[in-house]
Amino acid sequence: MAKKANIRIVRPGERPVYDREKANHGVLRRTTAIMLLCGVLLFLPLFYQLFKLMILDHDKYESEAISNQTRTTAVAADRGTIYDRNMKIIATSSTVETVFIDPLEIHNAEEDVDFIARGLSAILGVDAEMIRTKAAKIDRQYEVVATQQEYEVAEQVRAFITDNKLTGIHLEPSSKRHYATPATAAQVVGFVNAENVGADGLEAYYDKILQGTPGAVITTKGNYQTEMLYSYEKLYEATDGSSLVLTIDAQVQRMLEKNLKAAVEKYDVANGGFAIMMNVNTGEIVGMAIEGSYDPNNYLEITDLSVLQKLEEIGGKMDLATEGTQEYKELADLYNQTVAAARLRQWRNRCVSDGYEPGSTFKTITLASALDCGAVDLNTSFYCAGEKNYPDREDTLHCWKLDGHHAENTAQALQNSCNIAFADIGLMIGGERLYNYVDAFGFLEKTGVDMQGEATGVFHPKDEFVKNAQLTTIAFGQSIKPTPIQMVRAISAVVNGGYLLKPYVVSEVLDDKGNVVQKNSRTVIRQVISEETSEIMCDLIESVVTEGTGSNAALTGYRIGGKTGTSEKLDVYDENGNQTDDKIVSFVGIVPMDSPKYICLVALDTPTPGSGFRISGGVMATAVVRDIFSDTLLYLGVQPDYTDVDMSTVNVQMPDVRDLTEAEASTELATVSLTHIVVGNGETVTGTIPAPGEMLPGNSQVILYMGESVPTDKIKVPDLSGLTMAQANQVLANSGLYLQTKGSNLYYAVVTDQDYAPDSEVARGTTITVELTDNSVVD
Amino acid sequence: MALFRKKQDPMERLHQQELDETGILDMPYLVLTVLLVSIGVLMMFSASYARAYYDTGNSAFYFVRQAMFAAGGIVVTVLVGRLNYFIWYRLALPILAVSIVLLGMVLIPGVGVTHNGATRWLKIGIEFQPSEIAKLGMILAFAAMMAVWQDKMNTFRYGVLPYGIVLVMVAGLLVLQKHLSATLIIMLIGATMMLLGGTQKRWFLIGGVLVAIFLLVYLKSRGYANARVTAHLDPESDRLGSGYQIIQSRYAIGSGGLLGLGFGRSRQKYLYLPEGHNDYIFAIVCEELGFVGAVGVMILFIMLILRGYWIAIHARDRFGTLVAAGFTTKLALQVFFNIGVVTNYLPSTGISLPFFSYGGTALLLQMFEMGVVLSVSRWCVNKKALRRKPA
Repeated sequence: MAKKANIRIVRPGERPVYDREKANHGVLRRTTAIMLLCGVLLFLPLFYQLFKLMILDHDKYESEAISNQTRTTAVAADRGTIYDRNMKIIATSSTVETVFIDPLEIHNAEEDVDFIARGLSAILGVDAEMIRTKAAKIDRQYEVVATQQEYEVAEQVRAFITDNKLTGIHLEPSSKRHYATPATAAQVVGFVNAENVGADGLEAYYDKILQGTPGAVITTKGNYQTEMLYSYEKLYEATDGSSLVLTIDAQVQRMLEKNLKAAVEKYDVANGGFAIMMNVNTGEIVGMAIEGSYDPNNYLEITDLSVLQKLEEIGGKMDLATEGTQEYKELADLYNQTVAAARLRQWRNRCVSDGYEPGSTFKTITLASALDCGAVDLNTSFYCAGEKNYPDREDTLHCWKLDGHHAENTAQALQNSCNIAFADIGLMIGGERLYNYVDAFGFLEKTGVDMQGEATGVFHPKDEFVKNAQLTTIAFGQSIKPTPIQMVRAISAVVNGGYLLKPYVVSEVLDDKGNVVQKNSRTVIRQVISEETSEIMCDLIESVVTEGTGSNAALTGYRIGGKTGTSEKLDVYDENGNQTDDKIVSFVGIVPMDSPKYICLVALDTPTPGSGFRISGGVMATAVVRDIFSDTLLYLGVQPDYTDVDMSTVNVQMPDVRDLTEAEASTELATVSLTHIVVGNGETVTGTIPAPGEMLPGNSQVILYMGESVPTDKIKVPDLSGLTMAQANQVLANSGLYLQTKGSNLYYAVVTDQDYAPDSEVARGTTITVELTDNSVVD
Repeated sequence: MALFRKKQDPMERLHQQELDETGILDMPYLVLTVLLVSIGVLMMFSASYARAYYDTGNSAFYFVRQAMFAAGGIVVTVLVGRLNYFIWYRLALPILAVSIVLLGMVLIPGVGVTHNGATRWLKIGIEFQPSEIAKLGMILAFAAMMAVWQDKMNTFRYGVLPYGIVLVMVAGLLVLQKHLSATLIIMLIGATMMLLGGTQKRWFLIGGVLVAIFLLVYLKSRGYANARVTAHLDPESDRLGSGYQIIQSRYAIGSGGLLGLGFGRSRQKYLYLPEGHNDYIFAIVCEELGFVGAVGVMILFIMLILRGYWIAIHARDRFGTLVAAGFTTKLALQVFFNIGVVTNYLPSTGISLPFFSYGGTALLLQMFEMGVVLSVSRWCVNKKALRRKPA
């Protein structure tokens, strides 16, 4: 740089420009360089940086920003309702709320976590420490504190938020399932889990349909709960789930459950039982009950009292054992396994998920096959000597009646449930043909019923099936395990004209506006036997009740048919490895036999001898089916026909004949087939026994009091158990009581139950209803 | 105080003789300044809308204050522009001396005012950062000394030592305040002015090495600068901590796209972006005005900067050149560092955006500097100015 001074005194009027520019040349050159650097070059990378962020990566940052700025609140879709066939609600949903915290928001707003934890804990009854732990996860924005809170609780949370001006606590609506109590067909309907997802039963099977589509509200939201000036809100509407209308009738279902429960107690049944009632012509399942049910509202709760007792025992031992020891660990494992097993058992729908031993009820299938293929006709004769040997069968086959049924025709073979006759029939059909019939009756496939967890039954593979050793056993219904639903539909095909149907339990699916969007109806899979064979089978099946092992199923006014079954449980062994004596007894009843409408299968798993009843389907299961029919048929619109019936087996109502003369009263009483005797000698009737309006058997004799006062003393009910009908009638007549009966019409049937307990006190003229049982039926 | 007694001072003599040679204010510079201030205040209104409501309950709270300062600032610019800039030659050293005293006062416990954990403010009637005054004082003092000793700039005694002493004093006090960004700007402005003034190039080499050694030792001893570099390179590594501001800023800028969400429609300003009305206001500019608007604002800044250097080049004398170049360099560096940080081109430092960021005294000072440059422009040697002069 020049050392020469470059200041020059400028005089007024002189142009200073050139001189100064020259002098400042170095400075100006450097300034120009800095100008380029600071004015242009410095900013070029910034332009590129902006271009990259705003144009190239725009989409990425925009979407990240939006998720940063918006809150998505779920709009719950209500789960569809489940109705019974009369639109009675079985399961429904209500809106509840989920309380969650936004730990990041709480952190940013510097809220008092401890205060929030204690406050929410007090309102929601959850652990405060859990809330603290969740609030500490400050990189999260959604931590659930409590689900399914009812409106009142949610309001308390909202008040807690607003009163304390808190940030970061949110509520979102969700849905909660409610089941009618007592639950209807719990194992069929199933339940939803804590996340409101169908976990079992129809809830699981139809989960997609019931669930609906949850919607969402996306709102822009400033940090620290500020509202944006230019906010936007986008609503995705929720679509509520569709509803199901079941074929199940809650009333019928209740009767199934009631009678099943009563039977399990009455016959001291160890392993519960099940009952299915189905429309034989359509495949609609009207009821399906499994004893040992649960409350789907509290599906984890164990209902089996014996299990609870066992758990208490284990728990007691655990209290004594030292924690951490091997013994304690084993006890704890046992405890948990017991709980898990009990839950699985109470949830299980054994009507579709498990096989069972049908025993002689399967003879209907064998016989229908034999008649259909012409292997036997009604005139075929059989001879049962009590035992028989068959070629290629090692052991001797014994009939349940050890001294044999002797000569019998086809109908008698069925009525007697004769094993040897059916082994013969099996051979007459031939293994191949019977196997094909079994296949055609749908035993080798699932029925396709719209229920969760359907299994197929257990049958021998074809090459085993056709061998005499197996064939002679299968023919009378042993060594096989179809599922109850397979059995019900196969026997339905036997009596409905031969049509194998697809059973179903959901008749209609209704969308959220109530429109029918899906409809199930009678679906014929195939015709298995001819209509003629079916008609013959109806007669034969009816004769089992009128003349055979099913007599205890008789119900006055109805033509009931059916087949009994008693089978040893093949795969149950005692601790020594020997087969136990456990039996499963069952009865398949059909009504009315002139035009079959309903089928009802009842099976009781392992009745114990303690009850005093003979362990057989003909004694136990028949009575249950009879009571179920008695409780439901009128309700279902199946009218009784009393025309040819002994009126003394039918109850009539005592008319009000007071203030009438004897002649007038007599006429009145005759219209309801009652006779009378007179006490006193007044002009008109002053009182009657029984009192007007009471029910009493037809053909009974009532007492008319003419001028005399009616005695009002109470009478002790005598113990009638073990008496025949004639004996019981005599005893009651002596006490001034009437007798009504149900059950077997056979003269040797004895009283096994009475509706008024012995020694209870009743008014004069009360009707005592007793159950008459032919306790001699082995099958 | 001046460098010499009045009659011995060559600059003083020069001033006396050219006092009557006045032109008009440089219109492009004035228009650009007013334009940027106006846009800045409007954007500050939008950006502070939510924050002001959250802080005070009045959405216009920051806007009203800033607008008042802006209006006052324009008046200051024009008035200062009307003054003969020679007055700043006379006041250069006193201003520098006062600013150094003020910088020292900040360090006295109980006197300095602390915001966000940093003690960098003083409150004497109004609250301000003495470092801003120090920059101003330093630019004026450097320009004055370099003008006087312009023929001795190649010597150590006149070309290096005085500036070195000032720089070490000012930078030292700033380092004690832990005010890294101000230190950086001061050093860069000082170095640029020395380069312009004619200091020999080898001293820059020596100075650069010294500064580098110092920086290494200093940064090693202080962890937070290291954390900023980590956050700069990988903001996602600490989303909620050191990376938070960068990520939120990127969301705002990225959301803008080509045309932006529209004025007032920023979403990130709803308390997502910390300092959205302050150091990070440019992110909101990007979000609302888009790439087009952001580039437009930057082009206005660049035009203003280029015009500033143009004035420097055409200044009547060396003092004018250096003052204009100094203030323009300061403006350029502030804009560059601010936008560089906001776009995560540079690690974060607390440098505000001139005319845009909230802060009344800073805006007033900035407008004052604009005024000084404008006053230089009045004596610019250009044809237009000369034509207007009576022959």
